[in-house]
This record gives sequence, C-alpha cells and structure tokens, in this order.
Amino acid sequence: MSELDLRLSAATAQDTGSFRLLELPPELCQIIESASEKTAASLFIKGHPTEDAVLCTSEKTYTVRSVVLSNTVLVVTPSRSDPNGTVHIRDQLHEILELVPVVPKLHKLSILLRDMEYDEGDEDRQATMPKYSYEQARSEIQASEAEFIRGLKERRILVLEGQLRPIAPAHLCTILELLLNYLISLSLSHQAAAVEELVSVLSDEHEIPRAVSNQVISWFGDVKEGLWKMDPDAVIRELGVGILRHHRYNPISENEFFKKWKNVVGDTFESSVKLSLLSGDYLRNLSSIGEEATLTYFPSSALPVDPAARFVELFLTRQRWKHEEIEHFLLDIAVNSKERDKLLLKHARALTDTEGIWYTARVSYNN
Amino acid sequence: MLIDVCVSLSNAFNPKLPSCLAKLGHDELVLVELQGTLDIECDEDTTRDGQFVGKLNLKDANKPTLIVGHHLLEGKVVTLPKPLGVMHRKESSKRHSYPGDGDHSSRLAEDTSNPGVSWGIVAVVKKKIVFSKRPMPIVNLGGSTQRGQV
Repeated sequence: MSELDLRLSAATAQDTGSFRLLELPPELCQIIESASEKTAASLFIKGHPTEDAVLCTSEKTYTVRSVVLSNTVLVVTPSRSDPNGTVHIRDQLHEILELVPVVPKLHKLSILLRDMEYDEGDEDRQATMPKYSYEQARSEIQASEAEFIRGLKERRILVLEGQLRPIAPAHLCTILELLLNYLISLSLSHQAAAVEELVSVLSDEHEIPRAVSNQVISWFGDVKEGLWKMDPDAVIRELGVGILRHHRYNPISENEFFKKWKNVVGDTFESSVKLSLLSGDYLRNLSSIGEEATLTYFPSSALPVDPAARFVELFLTRQRWKHEEIEHFLLDIAVNSKERDKLLLKHARALTDTEGIWYTARVSYNN
Repeated sequence: MLIDVCVSLSNAFNPKLPSCLAKLGHDELVLVELQGTLDIECDEDTTRDGQFVGKLNLKDANKPTLIVGHHLLEGKVVTLPKPLGVMHRKESSKRHSYPGDGDHSSRLAEDTSNPGVSWGIVAVVKKKIVFSKRPMPIVNLGGSTQRGQV
C-alpha cells in the first residue's frame, strides 16, 4: 500500500515535547550505531541548571546548542492498531540540538577546590576543611569520564578518602625529590622500580601517607604489576616548575635557573633538562644586547579561560608574540590546532618578517 | 546534574513502518519536514488524539505527496547533511507536559528531578521527506471535512 493515513498520535498530551533531534557528528554517530550491537554506549548530559548543557561520551565532551528551525519537523512512527495503513505524528519539532566538541570544563575544579589543598602536616585542619568529593565532582564537572580522570592527574589533585585535595606544589616537589633520591640510594632502576619499596620508605622515614605517595607515583609514569616506569620528562618538568614558581615577578637569569634545576634533578637526569619541557609555564625575556636572558613564571593555567580575555592578558603581558611561543598558551582553550588557529585569526593579527610569524593584538589595549 | 542517555536503537516502536516508508532508510521512524506549522483546529487536548491530518502518498518514491484538507503538497526525499539522533523521553509516571518552549538546559534539569523520566536515543535517521513547495489547492476531493493549514 502506498497511500497512508497521517494521524496525530494516540496520546498527544503525553507525546508532545517528548522528542528531540540531535545532530550527530560522525564519530558520535559511529559510537551510537556500534553500541546497539554489542555494549551500551555511555552518554550523559551534564550541567548545572545555570550552565549550558554538555553531552559527554566516555572520551569527549560536546556542547549542546539549540538551533531554531523555521520549518516544522514531524516525527512519524508506525501505528499500533493499523500498521499498514496509518502512521502517527508523535511530535512536531522546531529545533535541532547541535553538538560541538569543546574542551572539558575542568577549570572550575581549581576554583571549587581552592581551600582544600593538601600539605604536609595539615591533619588538624582536616576536620574543619570544606569538602568536595570525587563522586560529586564527577557528576558536576562538565567533562567526560576519561577527561575528568586525566584532568585530576594533570592538575595534581589527590583523592583522599573520597575527597578531592589538590596537592601543595612545594610538597609535591619535596616528594619527587625524595623519590629521585631513594631511587638512587635503594639502587632501583627508574624504568622498573618497586612501588611498594618506595612507598614504605617514604611512609616510614618521612611520614608521607601511603595513599599520597602512591598517587604521586602514578601521576609520573606507569605502574604495572607493582613496578613503576618513571616518566623522566614529567618529573623534571614538575621540579623545574617548582623552582620557577618563585620567580613570577622577579626574573631569574637563565643560567642560574639551569644550575638550580640540574642540581635538583640529580646527575642521572641532568642531561635531560631542557627549557622546552616548561613550555606554557614560562616567559623568556631577552633584555638589551649582551645581557643574558631571564625567565619568569607565567603559567597558562592561571590565565583566563575565555578566549577574548586570555588574548587581552597575553597582549598586555607582551605586545607581540612569536607563533611558537603563543601556541603553548592556547592549548587548554582550543580543542585542536584548527580551533587554535581560528582563535588566533579572530583575536590576533599576524605579521611575517625574517624571524618568522609574529602576532600582535587586533585592538590596542594600552591606550 | 547528570542525565543518562541510553541508546536503544532497535525495537523502540512496534510494529515496523509500512514498507513504502521503511525503504527510506529507517524502518521504525521517519522525519517529515513541512514549511510553516501544522495548525490543527480543536478545543480540547483530548480530542486531538488520533486525529486525521492528511494522506501521505509514496507511490513514486522520488515524489512523495501529502494531501492536507484541500491542499496538495509535493515533496522530495533528502539525505541529511549530518545524521540525526532522535531522543525520546520515556516516562513511567504521568506528568504534566511543558507549556511552550523553554530554555533547553533548564528543562532537562527539571526532568532529572522527576525520577520517572529518562531520555534515550531511539533512532539514527539519515533521510527525511521535505515538503518545501507551496501547497496547491485541489478540488473534487469530496467528503473530507478535516481542516488543516500548511
């Protein structure tokens, strides 16, 4: 039969408003279609009523945007009573929900956890401290499962008794230095060090709780079957940032910094020390000719999250930026390099000279 | 606030669509796009249930037609630029329907406060039937007193 009766739903009151159309990016479409065959896809819509909703897969985060249509889209399904001659209009829609990949909104974490820092010997403070649990954060932070776990690791946030506690940077450096020392004194290889041995010695001799050292170890390398394969670059970077952190407003000369840095990482890793490890956290200033370069601490994590505000701050700090320099300060606000270039195009002006590409502000902020 | 969106692509609607619609790509659900809105005259909500709207003719798969009242619409089958997932709200308990269009996120938020509600993706649709041309008036149809405007 090729002629069908088009009828309203048999239960219009119940059906109206119960359908939504979701525009699926190819990768999401694939997840959904493969899900029906074997395992269930885990999709979540997350967000506080005052926030824009996001849709999370297990790996990625998408913002949900409503696009209004001038046309009407009818959702038509078969009829139960007359399957061959009738179809029902279940709902009439005037909007489509568009999904756009975004960076996970993890920056909220550092604000939420401001007073909950974990430091040496603050057991007394624990009772009075505000609490924010892992589970609570997981349901409130607009990020996918994988991004959330990675975010905790990158932000150096400990999970202690189910509560989130960012570790004090200085204390983290102390633990790392101790770890490096014990690797040598216990003559363990940094490729495969027994975690148990390290954790025990830190807990016995320095009263560092096992839960803390275990998590710190897992942030800086892979743990497999009780053996720690250290990620030297990550450790060296963290220690370097630890030294640089004291030089936010008072520049340190490059040579002096390197001396300190090499000293702290020890003989084994002295040769792996390089400035590029710290990209996104420092500024290198060349003053007048002949003088040596100085470094200041300039962490991209402390810059505004809103792109426009970030560019204002970047261009107030420096009038012009080299492409290689500015890109490190845009990593955490752009999903990929294409998005980053779009931001640059929108907020900065490119100039090419013999030294390469420079970026300057589109508008002048200073006058 | 967390809303679980489950994916259940098969057997969301029983029975299947008639074969002439099913061959458009999806055997349980089809999207029909109209210019303007479907304006159905009636006084009380209950009387709308199952009301006749028009006749959909798919004799020629490339040229579907829709007759609403004294108007004939000619349409075409279009492949969507991006596939659309159709989300459906399932409810176990009776609840009021939302009046008008509200802010999307707040509406979703309200839904979670009601434990009887869940959202699921019931279909992935890749084609739709679009009736984009002006309706043509037809005479001689007789009988039908249903009124619809497009």
